[in-house]
Amino acid sequence: MRWKNIFLIFQREVRDQLRDRRTLFMVAVLPLLLYPAMGIGMVQMTVTFAEQMRRVIVVGADQLPEPSFIVDGQLTPRFFDRPEQSGNIRVLTDLKEGLQAEPNEQVRAELTEFMKQVDSRRDRILRLAEVQSTLDRLPPESDLAQPMRDEEKTLRVEIEQWFSKAPAQVLIVFPRDFLVKYNELTESLEKMNKDELKKAVVPRPIVLHNSANEKSEIAYQRVRVVLKNWESSLLDQRLEAAGLPKSLQRPVPMTPVDLAEPEQIAANVWSKIFPALLVIMSVTGAFYPAIDLGAGEKERGTMETLLISPATRTEIVYGKFFTVMLFSLTTALLNLCSMGFTGQHMFSAIGATRANPIGDISFPPLTSLMWVVLLAIPLAALFSALSLSLAMFARSSKEGQYYLTPLLIVTMGLTMFCLNPAVELTPYYSILPVTGPALLLKALLLGTSTHSLAFYAIPVLVTSCVYSALALWWATELFQREDILFREAEHISPRLWLKHLLRDKEPTPSFAEAAFCFVLIAMLQFLFLTSMQGSPELLDTPVKMVTVQLIYLVATVGLPAVIMALLLTSHARRTLKLVWPRFSMLATGVILAFSLQPLVLEMMAWLDPYFPPLPPGAKHLMDAMGTEQVPLWLTFSAFAIAPAICEELAFRGFILSGLQHSGRRWLPIVLSALLFGVIHMIPKQQFNAALLGVVIGLLAARSGSLLPGVLFHLIFNGNQVLAMRLKPESLESGIWPWLVHTKGTGADFEMSFTSGTLIVCGVVSAVLLIWLICQDRRTHHFPDRGTGDERRKDLLGSHDDKTPEV
Amino acid sequence: MIQVESLAKEFHDMKRGSVFALDHVSFEVQPGEVFGLLGPNGAGKTTCLRILSTVLKPTHGHARIAGFDVVRQPQEVRSHIGFMSNNTGIYDRMTGWEMVEYYGRLYNIPEKVLQPRLEEIFETLKMKDVRDVLGSKMSTGMKQKVSIARTIIHDPPVLIFDEPTSGLDVLVARAVLETVESLKSKGKCIIFSTHIMSEVEKLCDRIAIIHRGRILAMGTVEELVRIHGQADIEDVFFKLIRDLEDSLA
Repeated sequence: MRWKNIFLIFQREVRDQLRDRRTLFMVAVLPLLLYPAMGIGMVQMTVTFAEQMRRVIVVGADQLPEPSFIVDGQLTPRFFDRPEQSGNIRVLTDLKEGLQAEPNEQVRAELTEFMKQVDSRRDRILRLAEVQSTLDRLPPESDLAQPMRDEEKTLRVEIEQWFSKAPAQVLIVFPRDFLVKYNELTESLEKMNKDELKKAVVPRPIVLHNSANEKSEIAYQRVRVVLKNWESSLLDQRLEAAGLPKSLQRPVPMTPVDLAEPEQIAANVWSKIFPALLVIMSVTGAFYPAIDLGAGEKERGTMETLLISPATRTEIVYGKFFTVMLFSLTTALLNLCSMGFTGQHMFSAIGATRANPIGDISFPPLTSLMWVVLLAIPLAALFSALSLSLAMFARSSKEGQYYLTPLLIVTMGLTMFCLNPAVELTPYYSILPVTGPALLLKALLLGTSTHSLAFYAIPVLVTSCVYSALALWWATELFQREDILFREAEHISPRLWLKHLLRDKEPTPSFAEAAFCFVLIAMLQFLFLTSMQGSPELLDTPVKMVTVQLIYLVATVGLPAVIMALLLTSHARRTLKLVWPRFSMLATGVILAFSLQPLVLEMMAWLDPYFPPLPPGAKHLMDAMGTEQVPLWLTFSAFAIAPAICEELAFRGFILSGLQHSGRRWLPIVLSALLFGVIHMIPKQQFNAALLGVVIGLLAARSGSLLPGVLFHLIFNGNQVLAMRLKPESLESGIWPWLVHTKGTGADFEMSFTSGTLIVCGVVSAVLLIWLICQDRRTHHFPDRGTGDERRKDLLGSHDDKTPEV
Repeated sequence: MIQVESLAKEFHDMKRGSVFALDHVSFEVQPGEVFGLLGPNGAGKTTCLRILSTVLKPTHGHARIAGFDVVRQPQEVRSHIGFMSNNTGIYDRMTGWEMVEYYGRLYNIPEKVLQPRLEEIFETLKMKDVRDVLGSKMSTGMKQKVSIARTIIHDPPVLIFDEPTSGLDVLVARAVLETVESLKSKGKCIIFSTHIMSEVEKLCDRIAIIHRGRILAMGTVEELVRIHGQADIEDVFFKLIRDLEDSLA
């Protein structure tokens, strides 16, 4: 790889993009214009925004004790939490001049009509209120409830129909004798006549509203606040009259104290906007240049010109990648700047005109901004490489947009997830793509203590870089492939495809078939587990659980692999690696199983606190594995023999053979190990399995046979089954004390390996693994395609001068 | 200069299964020689030339260009060939000068040599008018001139032309053919693919008639006409293709 060529290509692509008006518009003009324009628009809208007038009708307004909550056809401003809200509600009453507050003649006529109707319906409304409040107090299963519910429904429907046509949103009805009763009570309070007080009942005013109707609901919420404050001021009066202190009303007077500084309130705003904007804009910024540089170049026919230049394909991809990344970064950062400045300017402009809860929107501190830039780099790299890969895959710009849309949608989903205030940075989230950087940035901008963040910064940065590198590697891989560079329109027909699959079999499966095998296994597992959940009687004893586990492994892992090998390949034995290996390989498998076990057990015990606790289902299964109720042969079959055979057939057999089709040395081993890990579902086991998957994959790839791996797997799992049944006493004699320490008895029994054991095992394992790695005779490459010559000869008969070579 | 030995390219097609786009062809081309590949559309000419230019990899056989293997030393091969076809596009947002200069730099020509070389090529190809014109504003003729300039900027010993005149008007086509001829006189080793008989007769020292990925006949125009007992090369061409189709039917 020559950096000079990469730079030359980068330089050209950047110049090309800068000459493209579309890109310039997206990258620079849009962010610089969009946010200010949006800001101005928003200011305009807030200025012209006026809340619609709502009407509240008060019937029995002459019954209100003083001070009334109605003043000049409005609710009294001082009873509002925010007095400026009083202007939006017009109050109409049944007093003499009560309807004068309504300026519109026609509405006034309607209101007059409505007032007459209220009188005739007054009893019905009161009855509804009574029924509803009785119903609320009754237990739901009471015999009395049903007839009341029926009555409530009839009344409610009737009144709702009538009220929905009313020219008002809330109706307040005061009973006719309200004031008399109220005053009686107040007077008896003054006299402190306790008997009378106990008997006194004040009729309840009714507030009619419809919570399903938004207008009515808004008006009701306002009215509720006003009535509550009014009620409290009436109480004050009574207390005063009774010669009691006003503070009696609030036995526990609380004063909330807000510690947030204005900068922190601002930080809260930025911590929501910046990470989301950064992620979305990095994708958008990568999107269009990637399509132009990938699919666009194919479409215009300049790709071939570039391919025949001395620049290698890797150099071309890197040159293009850096270009896309530059634009992605620029877009993201320009957007952030523009958004930041507009936001700050706008908030301070609005803040100057009225008191608002957002407070002073000053910029986050410089260190936080540096973090924004730092985290933007791996994000931009990831999106650039991904977009470039997808764009490269497309035949035309239009196709490119189709392929890239899912990327955009997935990213949006992840961003939305991160915006949720409840979602915080955890070890698990920190290693996920996109969420890691987004959540770290959110926490940084919020000003969370830097100590805990330092713990996350390294994993977030490292995993982000790994994801970017993987994506870039994928892009380079795609660019090496002829069928992708020179993709032609293909006739798509499922029938043809199936015929092709069964007719043009190859000795070992293809990469795609291996991937499909994995998906099939995962889906079968899912189906099996969900159907098991539906029938708990199958899992109620340990014996049943172990049996189900055995069936599960055979049915969902072993069988699919064997069936696929028989159906889709012409050489199932070679695919499943059913050949006899060298003796040295077998021995290596056996010794490694014994030497790695103590190391793995110690490591997992050490890592245990970092993993989430086992789900209850897995715990039951572990218990079933250890219990004496299940015969040993059954436990051994389910937890050692079946996994050793079935999982090896699937992961080191079909899947590894398929992945080896890529002709690469390490990719098949690592990828099959990762898939093997993923299938284990419980995080701790996933980790464990992926790690051991590498070792078994290495054994299988180097020996070309499944057997060493099967032995390894069998011994490894078998040991664990046997260890579960081990009696603590038996460890106290023989060579055991040399190998392990024991501690406690019964349930508290703990066992750990001696350092001597660990050192010996470590050395033996390391030597064997290095030996295995050095056994690289490059994944056996069978002359698969060589059969083409033979096929051709069959087709044409013997042909002139050409000598077929194999 | 060019040695092609039993070169084949096998594709997997869903409908037809395994297909040979290029079916074990062998030929050699010497310096100072123009070798013509004559065949109908889809005969395998482009596949063959793409393999020679290392853009595609052969599934069987070998090819060496200027002593370098196309599979094992693709970079060396690419720096020793000039490739031009009607597919090799021109960048829309680059001027003629920038485009040729860019490729000159990719070929690692030192700046001191590159600038005079650019001047010289723009002079000989009479390209003063396209110097500062953006690709998107160029006529087809202008584009083809830029393509030629791009092909010869690094003065390669081997030149590959894949139907360079298809879709061009007579004047431009003639200019292209004249360039090929002048390159031949400079001792370059040239492969020229076409389906136009007159170009073959005029330009090529030797030709290979190719159909369904196979070379049906190879030799000078006179030899082919004599051996197959036809009036001219066009008749030879149709006879060979008809014979193959009959034998396959």
